[in-house]
Amino acid sequence: MTVVVAWSADEYGAAALAHGVAQAEQKHEDLVVVNVTRGDALVDRRYADDDEIARVTAAVKALGLEVRIAHGVVDDVAAAVVEEIRSTDATLAVVGIRHRSPVGKMLMGSVAQRIILDAPCPVLAVKPEAGTDLV
Amino acid sequence: MTIATEKTLAGPEPARSKVVDTAQYGLAAFLLVVGGVVLNDAAGLEKGFADQPVQPYAFGFVIGTVLVLLSVLLAVATWRGDVTEAEDGEDIDLTHGSDWATVAKLGVVFVIVVATISWLGWAIVGAFLFVGTARVLGSRTLILDIAIGTALSLLTWYGFYVGLGIPIPAGVLDGVL
Amino acid sequence: MDLLLDGFATALTPTNLLFAVIGVLLGTAVGVLPGIGPAMTVALLLPVTYSVEPSSALIMFAGIYYGGMYGGSTTSILLNTPGESSSVVTALEGNKMAKNGRAAQALATAAIGSFIAGTIGTVLLVILAPNIADLVVKLGAPSYFAIMLLALFAVTAVLGSSKLRGFVALFLGLAIGLIGTTTGQARLTFGEAKLADGIDIVIVAVAIFAIGEALWVAAHLRRKPLDIIPVGQPWMSKSDWGRSWKPWLRGTAFGFPFGALPAGGAEVPTFLSYITERRLTKHPEEFGKGAIEGVAGPEAANNASAAGTLVPLLAIGLPTTATAAVILVAMQNYGLQPGPQFLDANPKLVWGLLASLFIANTLLLVINLPLAPVWAKLLQIPRPYLYAGILFFASLGAYSVNFDAFDLALLGVIGVLGLAMRRFGLPVLPLIIGVILGPRIEDQLTQALAISQGDVATLWSEPVAVVVYIVMALLLVGTVVAGRRAGAVQPDPENQNKQEVSA
Repeated sequence: MTVVVAWSADEYGAAALAHGVAQAEQKHEDLVVVNVTRGDALVDRRYADDDEIARVTAAVKALGLEVRIAHGVVDDVAAAVVEEIRSTDATLAVVGIRHRSPVGKMLMGSVAQRIILDAPCPVLAVKPEAGTDLV
Repeated sequence: MTIATEKTLAGPEPARSKVVDTAQYGLAAFLLVVGGVVLNDAAGLEKGFADQPVQPYAFGFVIGTVLVLLSVLLAVATWRGDVTEAEDGEDIDLTHGSDWATVAKLGVVFVIVVATISWLGWAIVGAFLFVGTARVLGSRTLILDIAIGTALSLLTWYGFYVGLGIPIPAGVLDGVL
Repeated sequence: MDLLLDGFATALTPTNLLFAVIGVLLGTAVGVLPGIGPAMTVALLLPVTYSVEPSSALIMFAGIYYGGMYGGSTTSILLNTPGESSSVVTALEGNKMAKNGRAAQALATAAIGSFIAGTIGTVLLVILAPNIADLVVKLGAPSYFAIMLLALFAVTAVLGSSKLRGFVALFLGLAIGLIGTTTGQARLTFGEAKLADGIDIVIVAVAIFAIGEALWVAAHLRRKPLDIIPVGQPWMSKSDWGRSWKPWLRGTAFGFPFGALPAGGAEVPTFLSYITERRLTKHPEEFGKGAIEGVAGPEAANNASAAGTLVPLLAIGLPTTATAAVILVAMQNYGLQPGPQFLDANPKLVWGLLASLFIANTLLLVINLPLAPVWAKLLQIPRPYLYAGILFFASLGAYSVNFDAFDLALLGVIGVLGLAMRRFGLPVLPLIIGVILGPRIEDQLTQALAISQGDVATLWSEPVAVVVYIVMALLLVGTVVAGRRAGAVQPDPENQNKQEVSA
């Protein structure tokens, strides 16, 4: 039984991670952090580098939680998160969401939206706020 | 910080074993054919006018002969284990094999463009070209692709027509645009 | 001097200034973007030559050339992916500096060094080009013939790791150059009336540079994002200035002459500059870990070589780099033939172009220093859009030549050739130069022999021609000896290139 966090290396991901850690502590479950990219641009700022992964792992472990980080290049980010939820039999998924105009939503699609719709477990959608930074 | 940076400069590990790059025989054969065609063409030319000190076939003979020669040299070099050093680049990952399926799909899109451009005109075909190639290359947001493709092709059409004064034929949209 | 002031008057008109700004921004953008460089960009923009004023278009192209050199250094430093071969050396120290948190200083020394080198190079160009043109104008067809042969030979034999592949590319280019009816009879047209005028060089250039590259990238798309080093406003401390100014000047001294030589290019001088700085530095312990001298020198060298390239281009009509070759194509589209008479016949155009180089350089500095973080954002454009865009503009460029689907088909066929060339490691430059210079060589030979009434001895009747043939012979001996030695030391030649890079 786990809590799965869809983590991007930005403020939305930070918010999701902070809430995910809180939930995992409360529920006494392991944490699975998913940080994947389609890798279709030369640079993807939401994809964490190895140093950041190490920092996050250390910070979560310091809180006494078991954590695994899924990190890599996939064809479809939302599908990869949902697959992680299914395979670890997660009790909760946490995603960070951002505001988008209706047109923007139509054009860009939304990874968070697809996770919320496709996940077999409850999904906690959080927004960035001051003071939630874990690392 | 070390993920990809190290690899970029060092390039792929060169194949150490002595492999024969058989595809290079194809290149040699291609050169032989081109050289043969050039020679054959040169042989079919008439003698030039009196004021032409360089015969029209002279360059053809020289270039054709050298191409044939190069073809032989390349074949020999290949046989002796000469391996191609494929071109590297910022966005190129030579560590995996070549993905010829993608190239073939791009070719199909391009052939459709060539076949339909006179009829449909640039505004439509250009948008199709952008959307088609973007999808082949892995884009997943169809509506966004179409929006960008249409905007690009209309902007370039009007840009060329109005801005540069280059009248690109409108095709079926003649009168609409 | 008056001519140059007139040139500034031309270059500073609002229209031309606008084109200079567009050129500089576009050049930097494509220098930063992966998979697209200045040569491809100028090739894609060739359609503008059908309607835009020659001076405006050339000013824009010059801006792209200078901007591309600058933009390439940004990715070298921030990503360690040298887009252009001329910025390979910059990446050695530049990326290390960035990793040590000195990205701002590395970018600053690159930008200021480029500015200084570009400005000095342009001054040298202004002084040299007219004088060389005056010398060259006295030469006859035999000397021209010899110089062009030297250019073909040098570009093919001196550059690149495999001479054999260089010559394969060159002769394929020459074969394409044969197509058409320039000699009065149809050569290699296969009875196709649309080939009677030869293949438009615009189509060849766009196909080889843009389509070939896009297809090659499509076959080997990198899937993993690279780590970019976050960057703020570029700046330098006093000690950075103190350590940079000498390398800037030495780099300029290396870069300009190599740029001006046929086949000199930017690779050799950037490399020489790097070794020189490593030898002369007071901080040898920093080399390999991010020494600012190792960025300042090579960056100055590559911009100075860009300026140097314009000397043979303007004074003799010889292109020595891919970008210069495409700019030459643009000039020919205007019916302009660069060469000795070019400067006298088109003073307004030439001096406007030279003046605009100073302006482009200054623009690069004032626009790009503050914009560095914005340029880094360009790297987030998804690849499908980037390459779809390249294919889109390439097709548009080819189609706008005659509005004929036949041209698009040719574009596709030659594009596949471009792909094959990359697969087999055939260099692109000899092919393009072969297509451009092949017909002109035939023309010069015809002229020379027509004047001498068929006497072949005329070809070595001029002292310049004799000197050029001697140089060629020396080059030939040099490359053979070098090839032997490399072969003896290192049995597998495919490793040579990498050794040079990592040395």
